[in-house]
Amino acid sequence: MVQSMPRKLLQWIGVAAVLGLLAVAIGALMLVKDRVTLVLQAEASAAGPDPVALLRDDVQTLQRELGELRSQLGGNFEHLGAALEERAVARHAELQASAREVAQQHLQQQHAAERAAAAQLLSLQAELAALRSSLPVAGNRVPAADVSPGVAAGPTTEPAPGQTPVGENPVGQNPVGQNPAGEPSVGGNVPAGPEPTPTKETPAAAKAGSFLSFSVPAAKFQFDQSQTYTLLSDLCRVGFDAKSTLHDFTGVTGKVAGRFVADFDDPAGAWTGEVTCEAGTLKTGVDGRDTNMWEYLDAPHHAQIRFELGKFEATKVDVGARTAAGTLHGRMTIRGKTRDVSMPITVATDSSLRLQIEGQMPLKLSDYEVPVPSQLGGTITMQDEVKVWIALRARVQVGGAR
Amino acid sequence: MKREHTFGGWRLLVAIWPLFGFGGCIGSNVLAHEQRLVAPVVAELQFAPAPALPLVGLYESVLITGEVALAQRKVYYVFQGDGTYTAAALVESDGQSAFQTLSGTWRSLAAGLELDGKEPVPLEQAPGHVRITAPNGSLVLRAETLR
Repeated sequence: MVQSMPRKLLQWIGVAAVLGLLAVAIGALMLVKDRVTLVLQAEASAAGPDPVALLRDDVQTLQRELGELRSQLGGNFEHLGAALEERAVARHAELQASAREVAQQHLQQQHAAERAAAAQLLSLQAELAALRSSLPVAGNRVPAADVSPGVAAGPTTEPAPGQTPVGENPVGQNPVGQNPAGEPSVGGNVPAGPEPTPTKETPAAAKAGSFLSFSVPAAKFQFDQSQTYTLLSDLCRVGFDAKSTLHDFTGVTGKVAGRFVADFDDPAGAWTGEVTCEAGTLKTGVDGRDTNMWEYLDAPHHAQIRFELGKFEATKVDVGARTAAGTLHGRMTIRGKTRDVSMPITVATDSSLRLQIEGQMPLKLSDYEVPVPSQLGGTITMQDEVKVWIALRARVQVGGAR
Repeated sequence: MKREHTFGGWRLLVAIWPLFGFGGCIGSNVLAHEQRLVAPVVAELQFAPAPALPLVGLYESVLITGEVALAQRKVYYVFQGDGTYTAAALVESDGQSAFQTLSGTWRSLAAGLELDGKEPVPLEQAPGHVRITAPNGSLVLRAETLR
């Protein structure tokens, strides 16, 4: 009983203390309830920048970058357009060149076929004539058993002492074998008896000729038909005449090559082919100037100066005299730059039946982005315009256009 | 306003320019129009008739003229002392080149060169060269030596 008293006392004291604290709390709440503001705030926002400002900055940055991209994109589109246009031009030129090549090949094949047919016809006619001429001989003088290919059959109708062609005849003539004993003879391996005397019935023999005992194939210089001409490099020159402050000079090279197909009587004047020269071989007679010239022409990277033939606009053609004059249109490429050009030319034929082509035209170096030489700070300068000239010899290819 | 011209500055430079080793550049160095075309060497040769010319030796063609020049590109002759000869000609036909070879007899007569007993053809001579003229063309040969 004595022990339970303090325990109860303590319980009452505890209850009283709790109630007291509660009363104090309620009282305090009543006193300060109007002065307290409850603010709920994220922990991070207390230390970082204003997100709206950040968002605004981001938007501005994006707008600025977008503007830059837009301007760059415009430039790139321009570059792309220019590149596409350049590519289209190059492709167009390639296609034109391919078309010309195909046309030329077609022409060559056509001529080859025509010539093959003509040769076959001539061969057949010759065989027919030989058979005709040999029939009475075989019937009257030569036993049938002796008439066999590769067997000499008696003397010729036209003895020609000493004439002994050796080897295979390349031109479709009747091959004439060499006498093993070295004796002059003709018709060593001519089949079917004696060599027939050339008559109107042997067109193959009539077509061919001889020159100092050699057999020469029938070949005509057909000035008024399409023929292939090959430049004779040793007999060609191209060059330019230039003017400078102190004096005039010529640059020239003999390193010229090229082929072309031309028909001087063609009203359309469609020529194909090209003439090239080596830029690094042009010489003016002054070594230092030559070195500078090759540098200006960028010869290491653009070794060739090329003239692509396009059309010959004739003003005068004399088929009989094998002469012509007119303007040759084409495309000139210097230092990698190609421009359309027109050059008045004259054409003549020499005693060896070689074409002589001469012509000249003005040409501006700046058109081909060739720097105009200048020395001593411009004291000595060369004129932008030079006179380009050609002096060519070309030989026709026997057998027509190819 | 009166301008006073003095012989100095760039004028002096231009004036003394030739003195500094560039004198060779002064003066026109333009190739004459008529000299642009390469002139064949044989054009300068003066040929004269050469009756009974002793032709013995090797000869190489340097010029062929006439219709035969279309197909015949090069000719070699060896005229031997015993009256025989051998020859080769490069002939082109249908875009193909091939040599023809010959051997036969020759005589140099007053009327010209007789090959294989045929009609003599005119024979002319120039220093180091001979010219044979046939009805359908001519042949200029240069004397060569076998090395």
